[in-house]
Amino acid sequence: MEKTRLNILPVPTFSSLGVNYAEREMQQYETEAIRITESQEAPVRVDVTDSSAFEINASEGRALFVIQYIKSDSKLSVDTSIAASAGARVKLVQVFERLPEAVSKLKVTLADSASFELVQLVIGGGDNVIEDAVILDGARGAFTAELADSLAGSDRLDLNLIAEHRGRKTTSEIHLGTVLSGTASKIFKGTIDFKNGASGAKGSEQEEALLLGNCVRNRTVPVILCSEEDVEGSHGATVGRLDEKHIFYLRSRGICEEKIYELMARSKLMRAVSKIEDEPTKARIYKALGWGDDNE
Amino acid sequence: MKEKTQVGDIDRSLYDFRYEENEGDFLDRGLTPQIISEISDEKNDPDWMREFRLKALDIYNRTPMVEWGASTEGLDVDNIVTYIRPQSRMNTDWNNVPENIKETFERLGIPQAERESLAGVGAQYDSELVYHNVRSEVAESGVVYTNLESAMHDERYAEIIRSHFMKLVPPTDHKFAALHGAVWSGGSFVYVPKNVHLDIPLQSYFRLNAKGAGQFEHTLIILEENSYLHFIEGCSAPKYYEAGLHAGCVELFVGKGASLRYSTIENWSKNMYNLNTKRAIVQENGRIEWVSGSFGSHVSYLYPMSILNGRGASAEFTGITFAGEGQDLDTGAKIVHNAPETSSYMNTKSISKSGGKSTFRSSVAVNENAVGSKSSVSCESLMLDNISRSDTIPVIDVKTDKCDVGHEARIGRISDEAIFYLTSRGLSEQEARAMIVRGFADNVSKELPLEYAVEMNNLIGLEMQGSIG
Amino acid sequence: MSILLETKGLTAAAEDKELLHGVDIVIGEGETHVLMGQNGAGKSTFGCTVMGSPEYTVTGGKILFDGEDITSETADKRARRGMFLSFQNPVEIPGITLSEFLRNAIEQQTGKRIKLFEHKKNLAKAMEVLGMDSSYADRELNVGFSGGEKKKAEILQLLMLRPRLAILDETDSGLDVDAVKTVSKGIEEYRKSVGGTLLIITHNAKILEELRVDRTHILSNGRIVREGDGSLALDVLANGFEKYLGEV
Repeated sequence: MEKTRLNILPVPTFSSLGVNYAEREMQQYETEAIRITESQEAPVRVDVTDSSAFEINASEGRALFVIQYIKSDSKLSVDTSIAASAGARVKLVQVFERLPEAVSKLKVTLADSASFELVQLVIGGGDNVIEDAVILDGARGAFTAELADSLAGSDRLDLNLIAEHRGRKTTSEIHLGTVLSGTASKIFKGTIDFKNGASGAKGSEQEEALLLGNCVRNRTVPVILCSEEDVEGSHGATVGRLDEKHIFYLRSRGICEEKIYELMARSKLMRAVSKIEDEPTKARIYKALGWGDDNE
Repeated sequence: MKEKTQVGDIDRSLYDFRYEENEGDFLDRGLTPQIISEISDEKNDPDWMREFRLKALDIYNRTPMVEWGASTEGLDVDNIVTYIRPQSRMNTDWNNVPENIKETFERLGIPQAERESLAGVGAQYDSELVYHNVRSEVAESGVVYTNLESAMHDERYAEIIRSHFMKLVPPTDHKFAALHGAVWSGGSFVYVPKNVHLDIPLQSYFRLNAKGAGQFEHTLIILEENSYLHFIEGCSAPKYYEAGLHAGCVELFVGKGASLRYSTIENWSKNMYNLNTKRAIVQENGRIEWVSGSFGSHVSYLYPMSILNGRGASAEFTGITFAGEGQDLDTGAKIVHNAPETSSYMNTKSISKSGGKSTFRSSVAVNENAVGSKSSVSCESLMLDNISRSDTIPVIDVKTDKCDVGHEARIGRISDEAIFYLTSRGLSEQEARAMIVRGFADNVSKELPLEYAVEMNNLIGLEMQGSIG
Repeated sequence: MSILLETKGLTAAAEDKELLHGVDIVIGEGETHVLMGQNGAGKSTFGCTVMGSPEYTVTGGKILFDGEDITSETADKRARRGMFLSFQNPVEIPGITLSEFLRNAIEQQTGKRIKLFEHKKNLAKAMEVLGMDSSYADRELNVGFSGGEKKKAEILQLLMLRPRLAILDETDSGLDVDAVKTVSKGIEEYRKSVGGTLLIITHNAKILEELRVDRTHILSNGRIVREGDGSLALDVLANGFEKYLGEV
């Protein structure tokens, strides 16, 4: 089978780093797109167990909350496209639970004053290739992303997020928390692209990666592209072990090192988990992460 | 909507003068084994170098152009004049330098700088060095500063050169490294013995004068244990209608506990393709500091690389890039942490105006063995108008948990608040803008020797001049 | 009366610079001591070194707690022995709530699991003493807290963890009058309910008013230059350090 280039970095860089694209064999699947509209009860919970496509449309001024819980023992692809009309508010939660091989593509277009909130949690997974492309087309569109991934063993993840600012005064705010252990390997490409005309736009991106173990590999590519003067863009990343100050503080309260790492690993994921306002989904996530029931 | 100040193109009259060349001194255009052999003949290469050049040409022909970076469409390498016979042999006495070349360098202020503040000077005019000199007390301390060709034929250094030349940047590295290997000419060889501290800098100045030509100088610097050197490199060329090519190569070997500062103010004419490769390898507790100002060139690919190969080695990179009209400057740095407790710090600024494009591109790799290492990158970009472009493309590749890696980047424009604050204190808006840009570039200018800081501020002043008045 | 904390000729350095040059302090169980000195005298260095901060390296001397040499122990072991340091600038820990953090810390120190319900009840009680809004329990630890809120959260931890020795590093600095009152109230509650030992690093007279100070130590350039009873602290607060600093 021929390999397809996925997760293409919008502007390529040094090829030896292996971050310009991911190449995977793609299965063709035929399925009619599942349509989700705002008439359905919130949140719309969807269990994804096979390759499937989704079309989510939020009409003017309406709100929509969708949760996709993706879990399967076989290889799968998920295509999700979202169109948010003027003033519409869409929230999407995507949970990827230990998928052996998956390709996910999310494409979102925002009209004037539309907002999109993405909460994406990747729990393990042999080989996940995930792309989130958000086009802020209208004026004052707002995009927030709270991403978290926890990879162990030989898990692999290639994550390509693109926030394309076309409209005036559009905003994007992206945060990623990562915990890697074992021989896990992750690539995060996060691009904020300010197109000419996106005056007054603001974009920020922050990644915090906690590495546990000396055989992990964490590649981060925080890109800002800019052809508009009147914008503010920033990105930041911290990668590595825990800050000594944090360790000392927690230790001085009697917490041992092993527990500190456990706590901090949890804290990296908690930001995303706490944004999932749905108890059944949360319970499933706690179970998947082995956190146990907090109320015992 | 507020009216934007138009910024004019730089007044380059200081750099744009030139003398006509005698075209009879040019080797034929193009790249064939015959031409490469002719260069070897001209330079009386030893056999290993003859073979090296031909092998590099073969690699050049087989290597594709990189898939990323600025466009090199306007560059016709096959039609570049790769070698120009010199008008005279290299001199150590300024009086013997041919009159027109002498005047060129006088106008660029090189001899004056040598008298005032340098320990040694080399000047390259097109393909060959025309002048090289070091102060006697420096030579007596055992410091060697000469051109690579003479060193290669000197039995004291022949073996050192053979064992170091293009070992750090092999011709297989990329297409223009291969080209360099085939046609290199001129450049400097510097050797600083153990425990020798050179308190005043050495400087090389590269001038590409001929039309449609390339300059391919090779700089090889070796610092022995616990030595110190500051090396300054300046480059310029007049503007022709035909594009020029600069594909130099810099290889720096920094020994245990040694420290090297390498400063460059690059001001090639704005139709030059500057595809330069610079690399340093640093041993235990050694240190490399790069200071880099990129103002000229039509297209630049420049990412000085530091390989921290010994425990406790460190690297610092401070850079500024100013991309004006018609310029596509792709600059940055690469750092490889390849030993425990190494540290790196990168601080860059870029400015885009009048349709110029600047790209900050970097990579920081922390390998499995680099436990206890630290790296911090900070890059800031300033957009001065709405027709320019500024991209930031960093990569951080971490393979150990026992490290601290931080990265920060910001892009924006000059804030209205800052302008308001300065104008409220009596500055015109234009003056306020120029002041803010100068302040923005301060990280680099404060790292440069005074004369160069002044030159850089002049360059910024010239770039911003259209906005004053 | 038994000695709880003792430092013998303690020298400590940060980044190769020696900051403490042989400090001897003896604190008896149940006593209240005050450590004073000008900015940069080494007060915080002393507090942090005693707690085992990796920022400082002990280059000489010993730290004894309850008669045992703890000089090379990690901070968590010291905490489990019953030592507590209230930080001048507590770190922010996003993603972990104050309540969750305290539950973990208590469980680690006691080795016993506590029921969430019980934990919440205890926490609410302690927060009430300090007049803290109950919503703080579910806020991320120190994230976005004001200076005063951070200090209150430190005292809250003091009440919840119930240590034998509490070192309060300028817990009262930068606070308004009401906040200082709250902190004093917290300290009083700690004395009353735990009967613990206190080492207070302070510049402030207010906080000492309610306390019976057993002993005062004045630190200058990393050395103890004067020691005395509670009246020494009050004298310094009223008249300044000058006359004591001149003695060495």
